[in-house]
Amino acid sequence: MNVDIQQLKSGEVNLGTSIMAVQFDGGVVVGADSRTTTGSYIANRVTDKLTHVHDRIYCCRSGSAADTQTIADIVHMSLQQYAQSFGEAPTVSVAANYFQTLCYTNKDNLSAGIIVGGWDKDVGPSVYNIPLGGGLFRQPWAIGGSGSTYVYGYCDATYREGWGRDETVEFVKNTLSLAMARDGSSGGVIRMAVITEDAVERLFVPGNQLPTFWEGLEVLGNSSGAKQPAVEPMAVEV
Amino acid sequence: MSAGFDFSNHSRNTFLSEKGLKVPKATSTGTTIVGCLFKDGIVLGADTRATEGPIVADKNCEKIHFISDSIRCCGAGTAADTEFITALISSNIELHALSTGRKPRVVTAMTMLKQRLFQYQGHIGAALVLGGVDPSGAHLFTIHPHGSTDKLPYVTMGSGSLAAMAVFESSWKPDLSREDALKLVTAAVSAGIFNDLGSGSNVDACVITATETEMLRGYVKPNERTQKERTYGFRRGTTAWTAEKIRNLVVSEEITPIGGEEMDTS
Amino acid sequence: MTSIGTGYDLSASTYSPDGRIFQVEYANKAVENSGTAIGLRVKDGIVLAVEKLVHSKLLVPGANRRIQTIDRHIGLATSGLLADGRHLANLARHEASNFREQYRAPPTVKNLAERIGQYVQVYTLYSSVRPFGISTIIGSVDKDGPGLFVIEPSGVFYGYHGAAVGKGRQLAKNELEKLKLPELTTREAVFEAARIIYLVHDDAKEKEFELEMSWIGDETNGRHVPVPKDLLDEAEQKAKEALENFE
Repeated sequence: MNVDIQQLKSGEVNLGTSIMAVQFDGGVVVGADSRTTTGSYIANRVTDKLTHVHDRIYCCRSGSAADTQTIADIVHMSLQQYAQSFGEAPTVSVAANYFQTLCYTNKDNLSAGIIVGGWDKDVGPSVYNIPLGGGLFRQPWAIGGSGSTYVYGYCDATYREGWGRDETVEFVKNTLSLAMARDGSSGGVIRMAVITEDAVERLFVPGNQLPTFWEGLEVLGNSSGAKQPAVEPMAVEV
Repeated sequence: MSAGFDFSNHSRNTFLSEKGLKVPKATSTGTTIVGCLFKDGIVLGADTRATEGPIVADKNCEKIHFISDSIRCCGAGTAADTEFITALISSNIELHALSTGRKPRVVTAMTMLKQRLFQYQGHIGAALVLGGVDPSGAHLFTIHPHGSTDKLPYVTMGSGSLAAMAVFESSWKPDLSREDALKLVTAAVSAGIFNDLGSGSNVDACVITATETEMLRGYVKPNERTQKERTYGFRRGTTAWTAEKIRNLVVSEEITPIGGEEMDTS
Repeated sequence: MTSIGTGYDLSASTYSPDGRIFQVEYANKAVENSGTAIGLRVKDGIVLAVEKLVHSKLLVPGANRRIQTIDRHIGLATSGLLADGRHLANLARHEASNFREQYRAPPTVKNLAERIGQYVQVYTLYSSVRPFGISTIIGSVDKDGPGLFVIEPSGVFYGYHGAAVGKGRQLAKNELEKLKLPELTTREAVFEAARIIYLVHDDAKEKEFELEMSWIGDETNGRHVPVPKDLLDEAEQKAKEALENFE
């Protein structure tokens, strides 16, 4: 008998997503859009895809909502247990390793792309990427979800080492805005968290205050009456 | 007969489906269920239509299920699944409350439901709206069949969820009064009843606050059967006939006693 | 011993009326009769040294090592029944490798000491088993810096700056207390360790012994390795000289 997994999982809730995490000197900025979809319907337009797994460790979830929530719940429990038995906070690497083990050993039954970011006293800030197959990669910055494909070039061209907190927050905000503008499965608001030794600061950008870039006003006409550069009509062969 | 399981039905079913016979499907309820937060708690709402394909199977069914005194759960999807999973979790919540000696929390019910639904990988076709008030406040969740959950101030589910959400998106605001919240929920469910083929009949509502839970069964009945304006009975002899034949359908039997002594029944 | 014949010492699962477990105390006796083992926790590392009593001239020199490597950065020295030490070292190796598998990070010595302690303690609960006849010194340089622990037959474990177990422990402890351990380099500690082992060896009672030493520090790149031959020879030479001056 032919069993089609895609068929079985129809109607599943997906986080067609734009997520990212970036390391800077004193901490990590994690960010995500807020769209959750079932097919073409937005099941939740204000989702929080940044999930707390320990005091200074968060994860960004992409893929199946059910799968990633379950994984995050399990890791959250494991890290509580770790802190209890070792008497100290787990490192980001330990957390990432828990995620990796779950994602790899159950790879046939999961669709989960997870980015782990946080601060620990051993190495300071760090970011780990755990893409679909269950690999584990430490990176200075990581992007993920369906929206990320649109902004790899932007990130490569823009990211610099040695940024401070504010520059990093701007970078995350701009990258996610660009991804959300191009990816139909991403959108809504931007949620961010700045994780440092001292605190976790949650940031929020409403959907009508997202940074904008080129929006084609020169070609489509500008209703605001602002001065426009002279544009020759495109030559079309008849 | 040899020992072990008998899988011959499986071969038969495969053969029949190859020949083009449709495999029977579980009853799915096209539904409108909603929930919204207000100043003092939660209002849940549901329509009362149950369908089997194109047929209305029940015109006044209950879709707001009991979890605990101040937690209730609306169900959409496979009727049997919503019925039994809410009953099971309700039972487990009661045992949990008994063993902890505390009032049950909405997150506890939510976690139990999502973990079971995840375990069954979507094969338990229950789409739920869970709401209630516990010592930590009022909480409202949606739970999808695969086990994902969302926490929002107003939610809709089922085939009529789009119509109902349109109502919420245009009119919901924080800190509604009880009356306004009930009005809004009624409007949202009504939008489902009138605009979605899978939903219909009456509006059930349930208001949960810290002090009491009020189940409003048949809160609004916009589809009452009215008196027909005419009777469609026909006079005797309206139909013409050409021949008459009367047959006796009663079979008469004669019983012959075989003899012997009669049983003593004294 | 006053309690001989009372029957309270026949099993580890029986207390004496004054709350002692004699089998555990006898296990300590097994340690007290064995060659001394010491550990030094200094500025940048750890030095382990044992006085390995050679009971037969037919033995190959260097055989029956009593210092073992648990993980690339963890060393373990035992005093007491050698076979018990081997068993515990194997357990520790499994614990270390399990830790690496689970957390993809090297285990800390504190962690390992805790696990070994739990394991040893279990052997003080049942009549069907005998408590471990060893005291274990475990040392390492990990993410928390140098660490040195001793696990006793009862299962208790303590962290130390300097540790000594076995026959000459009392004299060795006296010598260790005189040192400013946190200020020593690992290389300096090698000489001190050799000197102490030579000092506590009672050549009136015992015949031959071999000095076995290992170290972990900046010079070994954080690895637990035997002290190199030339350094060991030099340390032994200096130890013998010091002993002559001492007497």
